[in-house]
Amino acid sequence: MKILMFTWEFPPLISGGLGMACYGMIKALLAQGIKIDLVLPTKEFVYFPMRQVEDVDTLPVVFVDAEKQKSYVYNTFNTVEERLEFIGISQQPESYFQLADIRRDSIALKKEYWLSETVNMEERELWQEMTANLIGEEDLIRKVQEYTLRAEKLAKSLEYDLIHAHDWLCYPAGMLARKIGGKPLIVHIHATEFDRAGGPGDERIHKIEHAGMTVADKVIAVSQYTAQMIMSRYRIDTAKIKIVHNAFSVPDDAVIAKQRIFKGPVILFLGRITLQKGPDYFLEMSQRVLATHPEARFIMAGTGDMSRKLLRRSASLKLRNRFLFTGFLNRKQVERILQAADIYVLPSVSEPFGISPLEAMAFGITSIISKQSGVAEVVHHAFKIDFWDTDLWVETINHLIENPQNCVKMGIDGMHEVNRIQWDEAAEKIRQLYSVTLAEYIRKVGA
Amino acid sequence: MLNIIFYFQVHQPYRLKHFNVLDIAQGSDMFDDQLNGQVMRKVSQKCYLPTNKLLLELIKKHEGRFKISYSITGTAIEQFKRYSPETLDSFKALVDTGCVEIIGETYYHSLSFLYDSNEFLDQVMMHRDLMKQEFGYDTVSFRNTELIYQDRLSDLVFEIEGFKTILTEGVDRILQWRSPLYAYKNYTKDINLLLKYYQLSDDIAFRFSNRDWPEYPLTVDKFVNWIDHLTLSEHKGRNQFLNLFMDYETFGEHQWAESGIFDFMAHFPTEILKRENLGFAHPKDTSDLANYQQESISFPDAVSWADEQRDLSAWLENDMQHNAIETLYEMFNRIKSKGDPKLLKTARLLSTSDHFYYMCAKYFQDGDVHKYFSPYDSPDQAYIYYINALAALEERL
Repeated sequence: MKILMFTWEFPPLISGGLGMACYGMIKALLAQGIKIDLVLPTKEFVYFPMRQVEDVDTLPVVFVDAEKQKSYVYNTFNTVEERLEFIGISQQPESYFQLADIRRDSIALKKEYWLSETVNMEERELWQEMTANLIGEEDLIRKVQEYTLRAEKLAKSLEYDLIHAHDWLCYPAGMLARKIGGKPLIVHIHATEFDRAGGPGDERIHKIEHAGMTVADKVIAVSQYTAQMIMSRYRIDTAKIKIVHNAFSVPDDAVIAKQRIFKGPVILFLGRITLQKGPDYFLEMSQRVLATHPEARFIMAGTGDMSRKLLRRSASLKLRNRFLFTGFLNRKQVERILQAADIYVLPSVSEPFGISPLEAMAFGITSIISKQSGVAEVVHHAFKIDFWDTDLWVETINHLIENPQNCVKMGIDGMHEVNRIQWDEAAEKIRQLYSVTLAEYIRKVGA
Repeated sequence: MLNIIFYFQVHQPYRLKHFNVLDIAQGSDMFDDQLNGQVMRKVSQKCYLPTNKLLLELIKKHEGRFKISYSITGTAIEQFKRYSPETLDSFKALVDTGCVEIIGETYYHSLSFLYDSNEFLDQVMMHRDLMKQEFGYDTVSFRNTELIYQDRLSDLVFEIEGFKTILTEGVDRILQWRSPLYAYKNYTKDINLLLKYYQLSDDIAFRFSNRDWPEYPLTVDKFVNWIDHLTLSEHKGRNQFLNLFMDYETFGEHQWAESGIFDFMAHFPTEILKRENLGFAHPKDTSDLANYQQESISFPDAVSWADEQRDLSAWLENDMQHNAIETLYEMFNRIKSKGDPKLLKTARLLSTSDHFYYMCAKYFQDGDVHKYFSPYDSPDQAYIYYINALAALEERL
């Protein structure tokens, strides 16, 4: 079985959990014999034909332009970085294709497929809903336009049995490919606009999400929490929804051993510094814990739209050199910070899944996670607290600092638990869903 | 007689690396040796060496009538030795002419006066010893970091045997009707105060190459005529002081050689000395030259020569600056009682005022100046690296 897969993130092109999830999932799917042509928002117009497990790390690449492909094949690269540079991806999020490279006329999304006679009324409305909402001058929206146009070409020229699209940025591409190629579409919900925005968010994105889920033959939700959201907020047919929890596999070369940076207890926030992740709750609990335990260090790792605000606030709260910012961290640096942490906190306001706590637990770090998260459904050896209940967060952190044995024990139990949550199981569910979807589709088309 | 007191601040900080949380573990050096060396070599080539050469020629040419003064920070001297020893030699040659006064200050160009009197006195004594050691010079005049002054400073400086005169900014809100052209006493009448004449100082330091300035270009004739006009206010034979205080890097660095700044300086003393009523003097001459009862003047709030506000806001305005500096000074006693000279040295290098200047988030004109001097992308970055450095220092305690 061969899948045409669209995703916005894949290591090293990564800014959050989506990339990590896709990596683990694809690796496990490849191990089960599934072939995948992966499309990323790369600067150059390429796709990644993945056939065997190692491909997730080596990233074999095909340039759509024949001339470019020739020059790529004849090019010799000394390092992996050089090769990725040529393709137009690196570890920085800025390496998504650049605005300057986007053709001006790309707003004219090919409407003919959707306005032709063969399209039924409902489909046409959905497409119009989507195209109408894909109009905007923001960098991101225009990148999605460009990405969607690439899908058209790929959908025509590649051979595949099924389309799998991750999150709204890729839904337009998935919808277009489905229409052109006449193959079933599965959309995968890692987060909705409600989660990301921590409130209603951008209406255009809701519409695109709604259109994508409605057109799709199946919808994968990363948790019960997310499935609920899809049913209640987007009114998607429950029969179409399948829950597949994410997993986490420790990279083979990861070093789990503790390596302290600070003498005192280290409490870690790791993720995008944005409303959804509750960084302001983290700051508040830091202030209150530090009042009792000034020897603790709170580390805010990552970047995001609230970085500056949090930085300024931490200064105004006079948290001295007890509240530190790391800025952007690459994979190796993330591992290094995990080796140095004692307590991991995820106070997300709304977290569809949350792979990061699994990673922290795999490093033996005691984790405290928001009840408003999908990951809370799959782990037991972690504290689960309502994101807004700062009193309880503070009490729990204080307890762990004051009882280091308990903290270590919880960490070890958590590590053992997480090591059992493997991608193989999730990939098996996805593979079964592929088969079912394909069978149903063939039956429908044949009928 | 109007005496021009030409005083130059010579200072280079130890800039911090982009020092991240993960760097704390390495126990690695937090200062950016490469950048600091680069800056020192660049500024030496563009400013220190050519300006010293020019001023040495002028001093020789005018046979004792052209006088200048410097304050040179300890962090600058250390970095001369490391990266540009010939620059230090050229300063020594200048001091040897006898026409140069060396002015005292804090060794680390710090804000210690505002936070820790003992540390302040330590740093002043360290600087005094260094000047003795490097130049064989006993300092008798003082200026605090960036001309920061407040009444209490004169009390502290008075405690140190030998200091007679302090240099500071001629701030309008303090002077009011009074002229900066006279020597004043501090509020207890123990110490002379010389006040910067900021209009004419800044004409050279900031406006010299500004083509939008109506007076551009500034010629020696024009400038000397302005100075000559100031003597019209002189009466009863009272000696006046025209205090032209500025960054030494004005010459060749802030104002490029192409702007004609060196030509200007080459001719300026000659034109001044052609006139009988104009001359040059040193701050240490103040008591001898002040042939009148000096009025005392009080500075209840701190002033400085920085930015348009001429207060402390360049270093101590936003929360980042306050949190950073308070964290540092809270650690000082613990560091001292630990008795590890390396840690104390690091803490002192972190006390240099430039670190807080980089965290300044004021915009408009002044923000541009801050940005020009900063080795970081933003005040936030400067703050993050600095706080990480303080965390690293604390871990080593």
